[in-house]
Parts: sequence; C-alpha cells; structure tokens
Amino acid sequence: MTAQRDLQTVRRVVAGALASLEASARRIDDLNVYPVPDGDTGTNLTMTVRAVSQALEESQTSDRRSLARAVARGALMGARGNSGVILSQIVRGAAEVLAQPGALDAALAARALRGASDAAYRAVRRPVEGTMLSVIRELAEEAEARATSGGSLGALLVELVRRGEEAVARTPQQLAVLREAGVVDAGGAGLLELLRGIASAVGGEPVPAAPPADEPLSVEAIHRERSRYRYCTVFVVEGKGLDRDRLEGALELVGDSLLVVGDESTLKVHVHTDDPGAALSLGTAVGVIDRVEIANMHEQAERRERRLLSVVPDPEPEPEPIVARSGVVAVVAGQGNRRLFESLAASVGPIRVVEGGHTMNPSTADLLAAVAALDAEEAILLPNNANVLLAAEQAAAHADRPAAVVPTDSIPAGLAAMVAFDGARDAAVNAEEMSKVAASVATGELTIASRDVRLNGLSIRRGEWLGLAAGEPVAGGPDFTDVAATVVERLLEPGRELLTLLTGAERPPLDGLLERLSQAHPSLEVDVQEGGQPHYPLLLAAE
Amino acid sequence: MRLTPENTAIVLDSTADFPDAAERFPNWRVVPLYVAFGGESYRDGVDLTAQEFYERLRGAAVPPTTSQPTPADFLACYESLAGFERIFSIHLASQLSGTFASAGAAAAELGDGRVRVVDSGVASAAIAMLALAIQRRLERGSSDEEVDALVERYRRERGLLFTVDTLEFLARGGRIGRARAVAGELLHVKPILSIVDGEVVPVKRVRGNRKAFQAFVDALESGTRDEPGLRVGIAHAAAPERAEAVARLVRDRRPHAQIEAVTWLGAVLGAHAGPGTVGFFWFPD
Repeated sequence: MTAQRDLQTVRRVVAGALASLEASARRIDDLNVYPVPDGDTGTNLTMTVRAVSQALEESQTSDRRSLARAVARGALMGARGNSGVILSQIVRGAAEVLAQPGALDAALAARALRGASDAAYRAVRRPVEGTMLSVIRELAEEAEARATSGGSLGALLVELVRRGEEAVARTPQQLAVLREAGVVDAGGAGLLELLRGIASAVGGEPVPAAPPADEPLSVEAIHRERSRYRYCTVFVVEGKGLDRDRLEGALELVGDSLLVVGDESTLKVHVHTDDPGAALSLGTAVGVIDRVEIANMHEQAERRERRLLSVVPDPEPEPEPIVARSGVVAVVAGQGNRRLFESLAASVGPIRVVEGGHTMNPSTADLLAAVAALDAEEAILLPNNANVLLAAEQAAAHADRPAAVVPTDSIPAGLAAMVAFDGARDAAVNAEEMSKVAASVATGELTIASRDVRLNGLSIRRGEWLGLAAGEPVAGGPDFTDVAATVVERLLEPGRELLTLLTGAERPPLDGLLERLSQAHPSLEVDVQEGGQPHYPLLLAAE
Repeated sequence: MRLTPENTAIVLDSTADFPDAAERFPNWRVVPLYVAFGGESYRDGVDLTAQEFYERLRGAAVPPTTSQPTPADFLACYESLAGFERIFSIHLASQLSGTFASAGAAAAELGDGRVRVVDSGVASAAIAMLALAIQRRLERGSSDEEVDALVERYRRERGLLFTVDTLEFLARGGRIGRARAVAGELLHVKPILSIVDGEVVPVKRVRGNRKAFQAFVDALESGTRDEPGLRVGIAHAAAPERAEAVARLVRDRRPHAQIEAVTWLGAVLGAHAGPGTVGFFWFPD
C-alpha cells in the first residue's frame, strides 16, 4: 500500500520536474556557453529526465529500493552530454539515500541533496565553481541548515528554490566565461527548473514562478553574439563621387556591425571584422583613407574581465592576465605594413608604430616619445632600416626604461622578428630571440633606378627596374618579372620555403612573377601582402 | 592481482585515433564519440572515417558539432568485457571533453570496482601511446600500482605539441583556452600549441610549416635522449605529407626513437582543430 503510493509519488514528482524542464529547455539552451557553447544543455537535461520518466512508466516495482535503482539507472541510460551525465550522478546520489527506509521528510531531503552533491563532485575530475556543481552544493547546504528547524518538506523545497535562484544568479561572478557572455550557467539554471518542478509537484506552498521561457538575453550576451569578429575597424574614406551603397555592400562580405555614413566626398566606416586589411583595401580602392583605428575587441573583453575581477573577488584562480613586460617601437613606412606589425603584436604585447623609413628618418626624439608612450615596462626598438639604426640605438641608451634594439634593416626583417615577440618576456630576452629570427631571413627589394647606374657589373638605365638582395644590386632591366625572379633566386637558399612579398604604394605587376614561381618552385609558400611603402614597389623576404 | 592481457582490458575512446585497436589487441576496445553535420549524427571512426570526415567538412555549410559517448555506450562496452577482471578506461583530457565523466558514470553504475577510469590529460595518438605503454606492462605481468605509477609519470614526462592552420576551429568549439592570445593569422603565422592541465596553451609562434616542424623536433631534442625507449607519435588532419615531413625530421635527429603511430586525426578532434593540424607526441619509456 505504502509502496504503491511511493511509486505514484515518484511518478508525480518526476513528471513535475520534466514538465518544468521542458518549458524552459529552449531558454536554457540559449544560456549554454560553458564548457562549450553548443547550445544543447536544456535539451540534454530534458532528455535525461525523460528517460527517468520512461523507466518509471515501465517499472512495476513497488519497493523503494528497486524504485530508486530504476530512477538512477534510467537517468544514467538516458544521459546525454556533459550536463546530462552530471545530472545522472546527482540523481544517483540522491536515489541512493532515498532508497533507505524512513519518512520522506525534510531531514531525508537534506541527506539526499548531500548525497547528490557529493556524487556530482566525484563525477568531475576538476570541479569548477559557477556550474551545476556549486548550485547542487549550495542546495545541500541550505537543506542541512533548515532540516533541523522542523518545517514541512513542501516548505523546505520552496526555500530551496529561492536559494537555488540566488546560487544560479551568482554563477557569473564565479565563472569568467559566463560573466563575459552576460549569462548565468545553463546547467545550474536547468537544475533549478528541475527543482522548481519537484517543489510544485510536492505542493503545499506556492512556488516562485520560473523566468518566462522567451526571456530575452542580456544586451551583453547579444553584443557578444554579434561581435564574433576580432577587430573593430574604423576609418574615413575621402574621394570624389564615393558610392556609399556600393562600399557598404562590399564591406558586408568582410564583417558585420557595419556602419557607413557620410556623403560622396567623405564616408566614415565602422565594421567588425577578422581582416581589417581587407576592409581598409576596400577603402583605398575608392579613395584615400584616413583616421584609421583598429581595436582588438578580444583584448577589450579581456580588459573588461580584469576590471570586473578587481571589483568582485573570484574564488577561482583566473588565467594570468597578459602582463606587458615589454613592448615594441617599430619604424614602419606604409599603411599596410603598419597593419601587419600591429596584427603581429595584437594580444601578444603593446606596439607603437613610428612613421618613417628610407627617406623619412625619424629622429631620436621621435623614438623616445614613442618609447615613453608605450604601455610596457621595457621597450624593444625595431629600426627596420639601416639609416634609422643609429637613432634607435641612441633612443635605447636614453630611454626612460630598459630598452633593447633589434637591428633590423628592412621591413620584412622586422616582420620576421615580430613573430618571435612575446610581451610577457623582458626586452633583452625578446631582443635575443627576435634578432635570431630576423638574421635568418634573406631580404630583397625592387625599386626603379633614378639614374643610369653601373654596379656589380650591371648596367641599368634610368627608369628601369633595379633588384637588390641583402642590399646589393643583383639584377636590372626593363622587365619586372625577370628582375624580380632573379632576386627571388638569390634569396631562395635550400631550406627556405616561405616567400613574403610586400607590395608598395606603386603596385608592381606581380602576375608574371607568381606564375613563374609556381612553376619553378611548386612547394614554395608565397604570401603576398599590401605593404604600401613608398619608393619600393616590392619588398621580399625568404625564410 | 597480477595483470595480464588475458585478464585486463583497455578501453579507449575514438579520440585516441587508434581505430584498429580491437584488431591489433584482443583485449582492447574503442568507444566512439559522435560527430553531427546538421541533423545527421555519426559514430566517430565507425560510421565516418577520418578521410570521409574531412571530405564532408570541405562541403559543409554548417560546422559540425560533436558530443561525448553516453554513459550507456560505456556501460555496454564494459558489460561486453565480462571475461576481464580489470578494465583500464583511458580517455581524452577531462578538461576538453565530458567523455571522462561519461565513462566514470558508467563505471559507478557497474559498481563492481573492475573499471579504472583514467584521465590521460592529452588527446589523439598520445592517448594511444599511454595505452600502449600499459599494454607493454601487461605483457610482462603488471599490477594496479605499476599502472598507476606509469600514468603519473606519463602525465609528467609526455611531450605534446601541435600546430593548426587557423585558430578559428578551436575558438568556435570553445577549446581555445589561453591560445587565443596568439594572433597574426594575416601572415600565415603558425602557433605552436600544447595542452597543459587540460587547457590549450600557446608555446611560441613561427612562420611556415617547416619552422613549425623544426620547433617540434627542437623540443623533442632538448627534452629527450636518443634511445630505443623514446616513443614518438604523429597525427595529422588531412595532411599526410606534413606528418611525413615531421617523421623524416625525427628519423634524422633521433634515429633510435620508435615512431609508434602516424595517424589521421579523427572526426571529433578534427572538428575542433581543423584541417591542416599536425600533432606531435613523445614519451620516453
């Protein structure tokens, strides 16, 4: 008789839990960002509870021990996904306690929740706070604190729902990824809805209502969703007869959060993209670009996280913030080259680019000012030109902080050095690594002879192409492809497999060269980038 | 209890990239994870080979999703191993996947203490290499204590490096960890990554595949001696020529090392690392 009533009670309670979860499954799916943002937590939890419900439908057993066993087994067999597996362990832990004889009262509920919490923690090798785990543990603590005061089971469950709501609301403070996404933990939220369903089914006291199923996500969560791209890119295009719609249409292909405003002589562009270079190129294709700002939004998110951390004490050790032990001051000519340097520094450490190069050498004072403005304890200077080396050495000697020079004599050598840069290391260690990489790169350039020259046995007429390798003239003549190919052959020693080509402000006719290289060196990786430097239509590097 | 291949089974999951385990060793089994394109779900390595997966991936409009084996899957596997007195169930790093938790839940349900679930802390062939090290001990007769000590030493001494063509896949699957601090994809920069405490972490970055592979072998050289006990594994995501290039470097610089596995990265790991990924693993044993 009692046993039969137990089966009815359990069926009613599980049905309540299932109905409550089903009603919230979509909302919980949407919350799902941890551990993996795959949006299936609500579905997985629902399927797990549905399996319990089915097991009970089929079960004819009437003794409590077998019933508990059927529930635990049903949860296990139906468990899907990580949240489902943890829930199955919560069910198992609770069922093992509830299998024991005794009145189904507040004291037993407290012991069941403790069993559930312990089983859940055992299931995970490295428990993380701000998840289902911390929610079930808080529920157990609350139940234990109240069990002795002798209230009814129904009253206890209502209090537990309240405590559960607090615990779920606190998860973003405990887990950075939730805070960043502006959501509460999906698994914890699911557990709460399950408990709410149980509390309603047991009855006796009014249970606080669940959040509406279609509750919109916070603005923060939506913004995160919208900015899946890394760089917030803003610039102004100036020109004649600018076609706003056409530029907007082209920009739509490279990113989102797009805004193009202005008139036919000036357009302001705002776009989120992973390829700011492509966005800028669309600008330079129709006019002159100016006031370029590229912000790394991932870095912004990390900074926001750190700011929040300083306000809210976090019980979990956070990943170490990227500390800028050192930063880079690089002398660079050309908008495209600037962008390449900045992209290589992005999230690795700070960088200040000083405009200049071959004919426009920055002064020591310019470089000192850039070092002073650098958001880092130490500085690494990349002169990227033989004519700037002395000024860089002077600046390093007189800087307001420890500084080291990596004696790069070309833009491509500087780019190679940047690959080895790590802002978490000091300037001296960086300079050593970066110098090593820069020295391993063979560089060359193509320019147009400004007068008739006779050099190294070459006779080149004014206006013809002049090719240099390691600073020495090695080829000349009227045909770009011939001259460039000769320079490339000089640079390609055995073992060099990557050729970088930086095109200048005057764009060289590259097609013939690329064609010839793909035939002569089929396994060579060729990377063509818009450098935008003056005087040198082509800069080359082989490594 | 003296553990032998006759009384001890080894259960891997499909991310060990050892699909023919049961053919090679009668006491081994593989439990597949799942990979889904749209609504269609496949068992990793059973319904969908690695090669088939990368072909599907090329034409896929929506990125594939993956999920861990269910506890029921593990339970069925353990129950099929009724003749064995001990089962070592060795799985993908628990920080990267709930596979370990599913196996643990099934082992608890079984409740007879036969199954020991091991968090390898690694992925791909590195999981299989730990299993192979255990198998070598089983073949000469071993014990739980010896296996426990081996697992501990493996966690300390194993080497694991990998490089991806793009960080996009790791980021999309939420497994990018601290590696998101590596930038520079504009210039074909190759990040050299590792897994530390179950998290993907950046080690350094270089340009070009050749330098990436050199960085692998440099790390092998600085951390090991050239001896027959040095075991090496290589996995690749649809890039067999890259795996071969790494193998050549290893044979050149560590001629006595044994290359235990050169394998395709299966569908589930491939979905999270992306085509072009190369993994490099070593363990002195």
